[in-house]
Amino acid sequence: MTTFELLEPESVEEATNLLAQHGDEARIIAGGTALVIMLKNRLISPGYVVSLGKLDELHYIHEETDGTLRIGALTTIREVERSPKVQARCPTLARTCGQVGNVRVRHAATVGGNLSEADYASDPPAVLMAARARVRARGPRGEREIPLTDFFKGFYETALAPDEVLIELIVPAAPPTTRSSYLRYLTRSSEDRPCLGVAAFVDVDDRGICRDLRVVVGAVAETPQEVDAAEKLGIGQRLTAELIQTIAEEYARSIDPLSDLRGSAWYRRQMVRVFVRDAVQGALDDGKA
Amino acid sequence: MKRIVQLRVNGVAREVAVEPHHILLDVLRQEFDLIGPREGCGIGMCGACTVLVDGVPLSSCLMLAALAAGKELVTIEGLSTGSELHPIQQAYLDHNAFQCSYCTPGFILGTKALLDENPSPTPGEVREYLSGNLCRCGSYVKILDAVLDAAQRLHSASEAGGVSGSLGPGANT
Repeated sequence: MTTFELLEPESVEEATNLLAQHGDEARIIAGGTALVIMLKNRLISPGYVVSLGKLDELHYIHEETDGTLRIGALTTIREVERSPKVQARCPTLARTCGQVGNVRVRHAATVGGNLSEADYASDPPAVLMAARARVRARGPRGEREIPLTDFFKGFYETALAPDEVLIELIVPAAPPTTRSSYLRYLTRSSEDRPCLGVAAFVDVDDRGICRDLRVVVGAVAETPQEVDAAEKLGIGQRLTAELIQTIAEEYARSIDPLSDLRGSAWYRRQMVRVFVRDAVQGALDDGKA
Repeated sequence: MKRIVQLRVNGVAREVAVEPHHILLDVLRQEFDLIGPREGCGIGMCGACTVLVDGVPLSSCLMLAALAAGKELVTIEGLSTGSELHPIQQAYLDHNAFQCSYCTPGFILGTKALLDENPSPTPGEVREYLSGNLCRCGSYVKILDAVLDAAQRLHSASEAGGVSGSLGPGANT
């Protein structure tokens, strides 16, 4: 590993100023589970590494009166997994965080780092996108909110500017009738990352008519994939097994999957069909948002 | 450029000079002569380098040593009291829960963190919690027995009035 200068700002302002000052030469470290591996493998060799470790102000999980969750960027994946607030408000998110990596990685990796890294084979992004979560970012020019649907731009690429820091994740409260599920498919060992993961959020009224349907498929392409045209097939309809199958077919047709060690593009397409169906059905059967 | 950081390891604080890119695992092994933490995969997947940091298990192969300043670090060397083994260590011995033992320090520290958090885990919870520790000899069945037995021993010991040899602050307790 080539050496670098380690900077430890004590406020978000100081951090964004350092990022602005050093531009492409600077990288942020939070939990380090991704960045240290990149440094070790010399995939990156920044001149400056900016640690967010001293920004205790970004370490919290708040629940607002309307049920919205506000999660500070430095909250660990493990803390989200075990938070009674998250378990009550968005159990699918808590469960999904419990499936990331292993317990050591979950103790170190942060929510902000997970999203900012934009690793295509990560689990939480699909769930958070389906939950219509958004993030708050702060930079030298001020603060803005970015919906996750506009956040992921490509392999390890996000809408964040180089001098912006993701400071908060906002998970809006779902209507109480919303049900959800996340299904991940591992083609190799239990500690591996998924070949694909499907998050389904379904809102069905008391007559059994679907009011809202959001299905996001992660780990199959550069960014989490959502197919609006397929979701529209379900909205306003009764979600019968046949209709769910049709929606799953539409997902399999519309997504252009990638090939990697965990599955070829052809194989992934078949699995999208199977797992979209099972995730939507799973949400209907026993999912609670 | 080297900087002086104070690392608190197994209850003892010491100042060491580290480069910003130095990895905690290497510093523990080379500067502190603590060879319990071992490099296996180097990417946080195998658990051989597990260290308790403020009571939670972390992969020391993924930590910059400079960022461990101010935290309470516990390696396997900090678990026993003198020649008296920690009950978890004794349970691993009694169950022959290892063959080559390369993974054992990581497994035992993982077990410590698990039992601090959940003193009476089910076999399923043990498997889940330790699924990120790899044993290439395949001693998993005996490890599971050892962990469940260790939970019993710690339970009896705490009823009898406290466990000796426990340095690390308990996670979430």
